[in-house]
This record gives sequence, structure tokens and C-alpha cells, in this order.
Amino acid sequence: MEILVCVKRVPDTSENEIEVNSNGADIERDDLVYSVNEWDNYAVEEAIQLRDKVGGSVTVVTVGDDESEEVLRREMAMGADKGVLLSDDAFTGSDGMGTTAILKAEIEKGKYDLILTGAQADDGAGQIGGMLASILDVPYASLVNYIEVLDENKIKVGREIEGGNQEMNELNLPCVLSIQTGINEPRYVGIRGIRKVAKLEIPIHGASDLGISADSVGAAGARVKRVDYFVPDFGEGAEILEGSTDEKIEKMIEILKAKGGIK
Amino acid sequence: MTQYIADRRDIDFVLHEQFRAEDLSQNDEFAEFNKKTIDLILTEARNLAIKEFLPTQEVSDREGVQFEGGNVKVPESFHRAYELLKEGEWVALTEDPDYGGQGMPRVVALATLEYFVGANFAFMMYPGLTHGAGKLVESFGTEEQKKLFQKKLYTGEWCGTMLLTEPEAGSDVGALTTTAVENDDGTYSITGNKIFISGGEHDLAENIIHPVLARIEGAPAGTKGISLFLVPKIWVNDDGTLGEHNDVVCTGVEEKMGIHGNATCSMSLGSKGKCRGTLLGEENKGMRAMFLMMNEARLLVGLQGFACASASYMYAVNYAKQRIQGKNLLKALDKDAPSVPIIQHPDVRRQLLNMKVYIEAMRSLLYYVGICDDRREISEDPEEKETFEGIIDLLIPIAKGYITDRAFEICSQGVQVFGGYGYIKEYPVEQLLRDCRITMLYEGTNGIQAMDLLGRKLGLNNGKPIMDLLVEIQKTIGEAKKIESIHGYADKVETAVNKLGEIALHMGKTAMSPDVMKAFAFAHPFMEACGDVILSWMLLWRALIAATELEKGAKKKHVAFYEGQLKSVEFFTHSILPITHGKMEAILTTNGAAVEISEASFGG
Repeated sequence: MEILVCVKRVPDTSENEIEVNSNGADIERDDLVYSVNEWDNYAVEEAIQLRDKVGGSVTVVTVGDDESEEVLRREMAMGADKGVLLSDDAFTGSDGMGTTAILKAEIEKGKYDLILTGAQADDGAGQIGGMLASILDVPYASLVNYIEVLDENKIKVGREIEGGNQEMNELNLPCVLSIQTGINEPRYVGIRGIRKVAKLEIPIHGASDLGISADSVGAAGARVKRVDYFVPDFGEGAEILEGSTDEKIEKMIEILKAKGGIK
Repeated sequence: MTQYIADRRDIDFVLHEQFRAEDLSQNDEFAEFNKKTIDLILTEARNLAIKEFLPTQEVSDREGVQFEGGNVKVPESFHRAYELLKEGEWVALTEDPDYGGQGMPRVVALATLEYFVGANFAFMMYPGLTHGAGKLVESFGTEEQKKLFQKKLYTGEWCGTMLLTEPEAGSDVGALTTTAVENDDGTYSITGNKIFISGGEHDLAENIIHPVLARIEGAPAGTKGISLFLVPKIWVNDDGTLGEHNDVVCTGVEEKMGIHGNATCSMSLGSKGKCRGTLLGEENKGMRAMFLMMNEARLLVGLQGFACASASYMYAVNYAKQRIQGKNLLKALDKDAPSVPIIQHPDVRRQLLNMKVYIEAMRSLLYYVGICDDRREISEDPEEKETFEGIIDLLIPIAKGYITDRAFEICSQGVQVFGGYGYIKEYPVEQLLRDCRITMLYEGTNGIQAMDLLGRKLGLNNGKPIMDLLVEIQKTIGEAKKIESIHGYADKVETAVNKLGEIALHMGKTAMSPDVMKAFAFAHPFMEACGDVILSWMLLWRALIAATELEKGAKKKHVAFYEGQLKSVEFFTHSILPITHGKMEAILTTNGAAVEISEASFGG
């Protein structure tokens, strides 16, 4: 099975305090530590496990700048077989549709049975998987937390739905799945894996390699434009309980009783 | 930015900007370790340390080890952590890849270990000793011993220890009484009792391999009659399969001040007359083997203490930025002025800057020893090799003794920054202070380190290593003097270096004179003076890079870091070096009170 996993380099929220920058259009990125998007990491782990079970190969791909290469190398050290960096000045400022168009162009250069994305990334839009399936005209399942290969043309997919319930689906291949965290336990990257990818050259594909016109992607082609970015003001009605832990608990119980939260 | 354990920006600075570690990859031996690889290793080491080892730190400190009927159980959380360490093959970072090692440059291994040890020092002692035992097998083992043990140890499948100390043989190893008698089959029967054995017994691995120092019957007294043996907990048959349990038994574990997760065992060998071992290396050459291992072991202990201090500083500086308490001093009389984060208070800033400068300079010193070792390793010029060897030998007692002394002080300052909260177990600085304390004691107390520096290292090769080191320091001073913004600091470091040269000569002479006892009463102050001056060199070196980058127009995101380097050397040369001059004056006086006072006058 030929599997492609779309990954993204994002600020590592466990290592950073995220602040909005001075012009309010983005977060302050100067001093951030980056890593691979957590959802994508689960997707890569799932791809590696599927490959180990049924054979084939795993390719990781990302749209980003030169520094994004490090997440590809990292996922290859984890066990992915190939990596491709999609990078071009023209890609900068792409909206979700632009990023999807870039990925589509790369996907069509190969022949993949299964395409995985993370369910969402740092911006929380969660849009790439669905859009990608749509423009590739293949089946799609979101928030996937279980995958079983039935035969060469069909897989069984579990989805997490409201209230912790589970839904099972059969999908024809090729298809796109967006992967939910918790589907597996991603492995750590060991030194042997890192040494293996130390000298690998990771190919970079730009707009012309992909046959994309520069004005259809990037800021020029973006039809969604972020206009503001801010931390909401504190609203009314918040109350901070004070006192010892026991006192706080007592007050909390009183409030819950008064408001009908508990009887 | 909130960081845990260690400051990644500073680690990157030392590895890449100060010591250009990636240049090592131009040599075939380290070809894989280019900058991208080094960065990825550190990112993944930090990832594993923060996500898996750090969460075990407090819980393992509370839980400790359990001893029952000769068996020891490590804290429950260590099992998963150890499996992950093995899986990632992080046990033998610098060793031969053919035997389960990773062939990594030592300087990169030190940075990796800084994260692991800073996350859980007690836990990392198990793989640390395992690696050490593997190294003994590699260095002194027969082909047969290597085949049976080396890979098992380097991969962490089996664990290792070092059985050296006995109740009456601590600093004086030569007094040990454990005996070895040769059997007909070439093995030896070992009999004796060992104490303070880290990881002597536990349930992390199927087998534990004990290198044991013992005296073969009839061997000379003292250190000249000591041999090294390999004593497995479970006998290993010639085909590598496990045989019967050997007669080596844990008779108890110590209740310690810190490193609670590590089992410190009393071991009885041959209490039933059936403890078997094989000779490792040559008869009566056990101490030589110990000396060969000593530099690496002592450097690691320096790193252990340092990692505690580095973590303590990270906690303290993050806490000081968040903890709101008291008004800004300039608004003390304004009753409406808000309370401010304690980092705004001058005395807290003084403590934090004091911690910062020592952390930075000591990281540079430890990594400098590492990069010297890597350059020695790849050098093909015998003279250059010898120069690196000399500098390493000279710096080891400082990297162990001086650094762990300072590390403990820094951990104490970390507690101070937290105020009363620092003294309670809810905050991690309390544990770091306790854990750190052992590093001043084991692997040769810091008094022994000071004696080693004065008695052996200072006069080594007619003083060539210290002369070589002074030449290196002068190079940095010369470069720094060319830059206006740091010229003044270079002058101060130069004055201190010149003074150090003077007291080194004085101490060398005094140690050879009838005043030898007085000289050795000043061995520790001398180690302190050497350490202070070397740290001032490291900070000047850092400032030289920072000033150059700032002049070139550093990127905005690096400006605060580089400016911080200039402040570090400013603080050290203005607030710490003057005290060093006082220490050096005292050394020159070599006052005899400490050796002349009668024991009765001590009271007690």
C-alpha cells in the first residue's frame, strides 16, 4: 500500500507561550520552538504500522519553507520511507484551498492508495483533509481513530463521533482520511533512525515542478484573508473563588446548588 | 519563553557557535553528525526527557526503591522509561556502532545527557553505570568477554555497576580487602563486602554485570595489588545463555538524602563461597583500568551536578517571571502601585544573574572538555593529540570538583528564589538541591579532586598542559581586545589569568617544599581560583561571539540572547572576579593556620 501523509511544522505548545504579535495579524513567531503537528504525528505512526502490516511505503509531504524540512526528516527518522518538501516563495500566504491545490499537484505526480492528514493543526481549521478528498474526487472520512485494511481496494475505518460513540465505515481506495489523536501511541524517534536519515537529500518541489501557476496559490491566490488576530477580552460573569481549597470547594458546591447544577 | 530542564538556545550556542561541533562531521569518524543530525538528536532527546523522564522525577523521589529478601524494586515508573531509553538506543552514545553504540561525538553526547540527567538524575544512573561497565569490557576484556557482555551492556539489555568501595576502603581504594582465588577452570572465587554500590541490585534488567575490584591471593599490598574482575549476577555460559545465580547478594539499601530512585546497595560476594568471576584485564592492573576510566566518569559526574543546577535555574527564572509579590522598589511608597513579578526586585535579579553566569560558563567548560576529547580522537598529529590529552587531564578535576561545588550553590540559590515555597516538596528545586549534593562526594570527593589538580595535574609533563591552556586563553583575550565593546572585560580576564599563572607557580613550588602540608591545605582554594578564572575565559569567549554577531547586525530574535552574553561577562568580571583576586591573594600567603592548629584546639 502506497501511503502519503501530509504533515505541518507548527509551534510546539508545550514549549512556548503563544502571544499575538504587535500588528495583530499573527502570533509572535520569533522565539518559538517548532515541532511536527501532533495530529500529523499520529497519522505518520498509523501509516508506518499499516505499511509494516501490509507492505508498501510511506511518504511524508509538507508545504512550507526551508525550515519545514526538519519535520520531514524527523518523521523519516521515525520510519517514513520518503519525504518531499513543497516549497516556493509563491506558496507563502496560501489559504486552505491554496495549500490543498499544492498538495493535489504533488499527489497526482505519484500513485497513492491512501492519503492521511491530521484532523487539524495549530490554526484549528481542520480543512485540508476534506478539501483534498473533494478536489481529488475520492472518498473521505474525518476524525478517524481506527483503520483496518480489508483487501487491496477496501478499508474499514472507525470514526469518533459525539459523546464518545464510534461509527464504522467501509471506504474504497484511494481515499483521504483525517486522523484523530489517540488512534495509536506514536513511537519516539531513536538515534539509529536519526543517523539513517542524516545524509538523505530531501527533494524540494516548487511551483514549476508541480505545474502550478504562481498567482493561483500563495497570498495572490488566497480567497480567505485573515484580518485580525486577538485574545478576547474577559467577559462579565466570571468569578474567581478565593480561600483555602476546602473553602473553595464549599463555595463551588453552593454555587452549583444555587444554579441547579447539582441537587 | 518557558523552557524545561535546560535552555536550548544556550545549548545550540555552545555547540554550534562557540565550538562548531558540526565541523567534526568533516572527519569520517563523525561524518553522520552534521548540524541537522545534531539538532534532531537534541530535539528528540529533549522530547523524550520532557515527556517521559521528567514526569517520573518527583514520583520516584517519593517512592524510592524497595528492598525485600535480597531483591530490589526500582520505582514503578522507571520500567517504561528504561524500555524507551533502550528502544531509542540512547545507552551508549559515544561508543562503537558495531557493539550497540551510536558513535556520537562526546560534545553532542554531553548535550543529550544534559536533558536526560536534568529530567531524572537518579534514573539515568542505571544506564550511566551500564555504559561504564560496557566500556570496561571494551577496553580490557578478552574477545570472549567482549562477545558475551559488551553488546548486552551497550544496548542496555543487561545492566552494569562498579564494585569498588568497601567499608574501610573509600577514598583509600588501596585498603580494600575483597579477595580473589583462582580456580582450576581459570575463573576466580571472589569473597568480600562492598558498599555504596549504585544499581547493585534491581529489577530493570534480566542480568546485572558487576566489575569488581579485588586482591588476588598473595598480591602486593595497596593499589599495586588490585585486580579487576567481571562478576555477573547470573552466570553467563560460553554460548551466551544464562546459567545459575551467582553468589553475589544485595544485603541492604541505603536511606539517602537524595537520588532516591537509585538503589545504593551493600553487596556481599561469596558469602556461601560460590561467587565466581573472570579476570578483566591483567592481574594487579585494576587501578590502571580505573584511572583510564576516570576522566570519563568524572566528567559525567560534573555533568550530573551541572544538570541539576541548570534545571534549578530554569525553574527559578520562570518562577521569578510569574510570581507576583511586593511592589517595584521605585514605587514602594505608592499605595496604589500594583504588586510586580519578583524578577523586578534587585536582589532577585542578582541571584538570577549569578545563576545564569555560572550555568552558561560551566556548560561551556563541560562541552569544551567534550570537544577537546573529540578533536583528540580524530587528530592524526601525535603532538596535537598529546596537547588535547594534557588539557583534558588538567581540566577534569575542575570539571568535576569545581563544577559540582558551584552546582550545589546554584541549586541552593534556586531554592532561595522560590522563597519559602522552595523549601517544600511541592516545588522541584527542593529535590534538585538534595539530588545534586551527592555529586560533590562520589567519584572522588571534591577534596580528592583538588589534591589531584595540585598534586598530579599541575606538574603533569613539566607543566605543559597548564601552559597550553594559558596559551588558548590568551588567544581569546587577544581577539576580545580588538572589539571595543568587550575590550574592558578582556583586560580584567587577562589580569586574572596572569595572577593565576603566578599562583600556579607558587603552589607548584610550595607543594615540593617542606611547606607541602600548607600547600595542600590550599589545594581546594587553588581549584576554586582555577575554576573562576577558566569560567571568566569561557564567558569572554561567549561575549566575543555575541559582540561580533551584534556588530554584524544579529536577527531580532537573537539580540536579547547576545546582549545577555555581554551582561554575563560584565557581571562576572565586575562582581565575581574581584573575589577571585582575594582568593588568589590568600593562596599566595599560604597561611598555615589550618595545618598548624592542634587537634585539641579544634574542640569537639
